Amino acid sequence: MSAAPPAIKSQPQYRGLTWDASGQAHLLLLAARDDALLASLLGALPSAPIRVIDCADALAAFSAPAALEVTRAASLETALGLLDDALARASMGLRLYLAGPEDAIWQAHTIAAAYGMGRREIRLCQTGSLARPVFCVHCRSMTRHVRTNIVPCAGCGRALFVRDHFSRRLGAYMGFQIDAEAPGQVPPAETVYP
Amino acid sequence: MRPVIEMTIARTLDVAPGIREFWLKAADGSALPAYSGGSHIVLGLPLPGGLQRNPYSLVGDPADASKWRIAVRRQEGSRGGSAWLHDTAAEGMRLQVAVPANLFPMARLARHHVLIAGGIGITPILSHAREMARLGLSFEVHYAYRARAFAALADEVGAIAGDRLRRYDQSDGEKVDFEALLAGRPLGTHAYLCGPQPMVEAFHAIGTRLGWPGDRLHSERFVAPPPGDAFSVRLARSGLRVEVPPHRSMLEAIEAAGVSAPFMCRGGACGQCELEVLEADSALQHNDLYLSAEVRAGGRRIMPCVSRACGGCITVDL
Ligand code: FES
Repeated sequence: MSAAPPAIKSQPQYRGLTWDASGQAHLLLLAARDDALLASLLGALPSAPIRVIDCADALAAFSAPAALEVTRAASLETALGLLDDALARASMGLRLYLAGPEDAIWQAHTIAAAYGMGRREIRLCQTGSLARPVFCVHCRSMTRHVRTNIVPCAGCGRALFVRDHFSRRLGAYMGFQIDAEAPGQVPPAETVYP
Repeated sequence: MRPVIEMTIARTLDVAPGIREFWLKAADGSALPAYSGGSHIVLGLPLPGGLQRNPYSLVGDPADASKWRIAVRRQEGSRGGSAWLHDTAAEGMRLQVAVPANLFPMARLARHHVLIAGGIGITPILSHAREMARLGLSFEVHYAYRARAFAALADEVGAIAGDRLRRYDQSDGEKVDFEALLAGRPLGTHAYLCGPQPMVEAFHAIGTRLGWPGDRLHSERFVAPPPGDAFSVRLARSGLRVEVPPHRSMLEAIEAAGVSAPFMCRGGACGQCELEVLEADSALQHNDLYLSAEVRAGGRRIMPCVSRACGGCITVDL
C-alpha cells in the first residue's frame, strides 16, 4: 500500500492477485503470461472449485494441478465468449479474477458487470503489455492497444491525446483531440505505454 | 434536518389482530412529496408524557401523492407509541410527520431481487414489490408469519406478486430455509430482508457462508427505544441540563427542551444522531445497531435515539 497515489484518481490501481477465501467458486481469466504471478496463485490454492480460461498460454511453464479445470482459448475473443458462457451458468458466490493487459481485463470486466457482478466479486491485475484502450470523446469509438501518448482515432482519424482519465464503465482511457485549437499542429507521438 | 409536515389521519383499518393500518393525508390537502420503495416516515405522537417520534415504513403506492399508508403492530411492553396508535388515534386527528427517507433502497443494477419478510417486516417489502412490479423487474417475495390470521397485507402482496409470492405459515411448522433460498442463485441477485433480529442474523450468516458479498444482502431493522433508568444529560454548548425520564428516549427529551438535534431513522440504524460523550458518571446502555463493539467500549459515543445512561448524568457535545 506504499505505492504513490495516482496522478488522476480515476486511474485504476492494481495490486497483486490473491484468491478471495470467501468465494465458493473461482474463475480465473489469464490474458498474459506472468510466471511469477501464476506461481504465487498456484502456491496458495483455495479449496473451492477453480476454473481457468487461458488465452495467453500462461500455464505453459506449469503442470496445472488436477483441481483446476483449465480451458485454453486461441484468442482473447474466444476467451471472452467462454467467460460469457461461464458467467451465464454461474451462481452467487463466484469470484472472478482477471489478469492481463488493461484492454483484455476491462473487456472481461464489462461482461461481468453486465451479469451484475460488483467490485467485491471481481479482482483485476494488470500484467503483460501496458498498452491502453482509448475511447474517443468526439466520435465515441474505441482504439485498442495504444502504446503512444498520441494516437490517430480508429473511428474518426482525429489525433487523440491519451489522458490518465479512466472510465470503469467503458473500460478505457479518454482520448481528446490534441490539435483542436491549432489544427494540424500535432507533436510527435512517443511510446509511453510499452 | 428532515422537514416535517402536518398530516391528518384520513382512515384507520384493522388489518389483522394487533395490526392497524393508517392512511395519512396532508392537513392542507396538498400533494405529498415523492418517495421510493423501502422508505419510512417518522410520526410525532402526542403522548401524555410528551411527543414521541416513531419510524414506520411506508406500505402504499409511491405513485400515489394523495396519501401515505403505514401498518402498525401493537408492541407490548413498549413505550406506548404503538398502543396510542391502536387505542387513541382516530380519523381526523392531526400528526406531525417527518418526510420519507430511505435506508433500505433497492439496488437498481440487480438482475433479480429476492424479497423476504418476517411478520410486520412485510411493510417495506410490500412497497418494494409494488415498485419492482411496476418497473417490470425480476423479483420474488417470501413472507413468513405466525399464523394465517396475522398475515396482514398478504392479499395485497399476493395481488402484486402473484405466483412469485411464497408464504410460510409458522403455525404449520413452515419456516424460511435461507440455505435453500440463497444457494445457487444467478449472478447479480440481491436479497432484502425485513424481520425479527434472529432472522436478520441467519440471513447474513448463511448468505456470507454461501459467498454472497455483504453489499448484496440488504436488511432493515429499527429498534424501538427501550425504557430504562432516569438520568440527566448536560448539553455542553449551551450548558442546559435535560432530565430523561424512564419512558422517553434521550433524543426526545433533548428535543422537548427546545434543542434541535440531528436524526434520521430514530431506530438506532442510520448513525445520523451520533453524539460525542464528553463525561459520564454512569455506564452507557447502548441499544443501537450502528456503533461497533470497539467504539462502544471507548465510551465516547452514543446514539441518543435509542440509547441511554444508567442513571446519573452524562455530558454530550451538543
Ligand atoms: S437517528 Fe438513526 S441511529 Fe439515531
